Amino acid sequence: MNDSPMAPPPGRGMLRDLRHMLLYAGKRLLALLFTVLVGVYLTIIIANMGGQVDELRLVQIRSQASEAVRADPAFQDLTPTERNELIARQVSQEVERLRLDQPFVVRSVDYLQRAMRLDLGRAEQMHSDRGSREVYDIIVERLPATLLLFGSANLLVFFVSVFAALFLSRRYGSALDRSVIALAPTSAAPGWFYGIFLILVFAFVVPVLPAGGMVTAPPPADRWEYAASVLRHMLLPLLAMFLSSIFISIYSWRTFFLIHSSEDYVEMARAKGLPSNLIERRYILRPTLSPIITSFLLMLIGLWSGAIILEQVFNWPGLGSLLFQAIGHRDTPVIIGGVVIFAYLLAVTVFLLDILYALLDPRVRIEGGRR
Amino acid sequence: MRESTLLRVDDLALHYQTRRGVVRAVDGVSFELRRNEALVVLGESGCGKSSLAKLLMRVLPRNIHHTGGRVTLGETELGTLSDERFRREVQWSRMAMVMQASMNALNPVVKVGQQVAEPLRVLRGWSRARALARAAEVFTLVGISTDFMTRYPFELSGGMRQRAVLAMALVAEPELVILDEPTSALDVLTQASIMNALKRVKRELGTSFILITHDVATSSELADRVALMYAGQLVEVADAGDFFNEPAHPYSRMLMASVPRLRQRQRPEAIPGQPPSLFDPPGGCRFAERCPHRFARCARDPESIRIGERRRVSCWLFGDDRRDHGGRTEGGGT
Repeated sequence: MNDSPMAPPPGRGMLRDLRHMLLYAGKRLLALLFTVLVGVYLTIIIANMGGQVDELRLVQIRSQASEAVRADPAFQDLTPTERNELIARQVSQEVERLRLDQPFVVRSVDYLQRAMRLDLGRAEQMHSDRGSREVYDIIVERLPATLLLFGSANLLVFFVSVFAALFLSRRYGSALDRSVIALAPTSAAPGWFYGIFLILVFAFVVPVLPAGGMVTAPPPADRWEYAASVLRHMLLPLLAMFLSSIFISIYSWRTFFLIHSSEDYVEMARAKGLPSNLIERRYILRPTLSPIITSFLLMLIGLWSGAIILEQVFNWPGLGSLLFQAIGHRDTPVIIGGVVIFAYLLAVTVFLLDILYALLDPRVRIEGGRR
Repeated sequence: MRESTLLRVDDLALHYQTRRGVVRAVDGVSFELRRNEALVVLGESGCGKSSLAKLLMRVLPRNIHHTGGRVTLGETELGTLSDERFRREVQWSRMAMVMQASMNALNPVVKVGQQVAEPLRVLRGWSRARALARAAEVFTLVGISTDFMTRYPFELSGGMRQRAVLAMALVAEPELVILDEPTSALDVLTQASIMNALKRVKRELGTSFILITHDVATSSELADRVALMYAGQLVEVADAGDFFNEPAHPYSRMLMASVPRLRQRQRPEAIPGQPPSLFDPPGGCRFAERCPHRFARCARDPESIRIGERRRVSCWLFGDDRRDHGGRTEGGGT
């Protein structure tokens, strides 16, 4: 970095930068860990309704035990007292197993410990398509479908809109620019809304594409055929999401670039006679890289939650519908599992962003370390 | 016309298109600048000074309605150059600019030395080392330690940033540097030291300057010539000594009377009224409304009248034919 011939003792600036960076990274890491801890603990309390869910669980255990004892022919000839004792014994066994006899506060801390170690436990009612009750398996099974669809849609929207916006900001006020602005309100309708129309048109009026699902049933054995089938199924939901967000996205990036291209240093660069592609790269994109990367990374982790309605409309087996079902079933471990993973992803992303800011922006790196 | 004319500007015009109508920011401006001369363009806020500078440098906003006139730099008629040729051949290499608000004229994420050296690397294709070595020379010339070359702009004080921008303007050894309010955001001591740096540059490099300012006191330090601008037009162009001692145009006189001076009993006097709107300005003399010497002829556009060798005044008071001039009170200088 210090490459000029008259840099004061070579390497000293670099060392200074490095020390500041490490100090800064350490502080941020501690702060983020604390944030995750608080976030996860809050989720545990909320998802358990502050312990209320335990009461429900207790009632459920009791009724299950008495059902089981009554239905079992082996216990037919027991006297009511004996039977009640048996039921009480079974209930207390189950309570002990689940440690429901301990106060919620104690167990919530225990939950927290396990959650922070990513030990997500077993689901109460839900199970994965392969039959596993492990929350981890349930989530991992749905992850690829969500990442594939939402990842490609968002990447497409992001890159298309940034480059289109840069292009338009150069042609501010042109017919093309004005028509994109006019189209921006089309994003008021959500993706699933466009999805319904697209399904109507391309799956029924002109039946060229499948109406929903991720792959034909039964799934093709050949890997290439499988991929082609997934691609065909992806096309409509992808288009729906693209349509619903592209114009507003171009519009907002265009405004962003317009604001930043009227900075004094950009005007100075123009007066300096620099070619316009250099101005765009070094004077517009480079100083604004931090907010651009921020929105890019936040978009990436936003994929984690999927999109509930769109997944329903296209019958897409993603995380959105999974979490929706989990909430409906009050399947606390699945909800908590989802949130814990999201919290970690968010924390890692924010940490990454902090480091990137420091690398990209000397004001953060130098000032931040000094403080 | 003279042996050493560097810049010749004829009937320059720049009109902006706005929602409220056409703004005539620069409306028929003509002047000449000789080599190694410093011309101060004086004027109130909004009189079109900065527009004049931007027009000369071709860094214009998008809402241009009309531009006109001829600009000749040395032997080059600038109007005939395409934007691309102007950028490659004139901008920064022959004519550079220090912009208003140059506090923010440096890219916040690039080291100062790199930015100063950048025009040489990009426009002349110099190597990094060579460009940085040259940048170090101009840093010394404008009075900043070369240690600051490896710093980022936010690590520099306002005065140092201003000097760095000045260094950037001088790095390619242009014949002409346009300074748009270079010191108006700085404290008086810093202003003085920057003016001293400019004087040194002028003496050592023979650079010509156009200094655009509203600050009469600071400008008098550097000025060889003064052009006074009012409502998009030049009302008086004269040698600095003549202008400051014996202003001719009524506006010049009133402006000089409004400047407070040391060791002088006389109270500074404000000029009553407001400059006219540049939307559809009035016909005739634009200062007429505020002028104590107004007479019938002022309803006609004033001609630029030559007084002596080196002074031009746009005022009918100096016309040959003064028959219809009523009660003119003689009020030369002080």
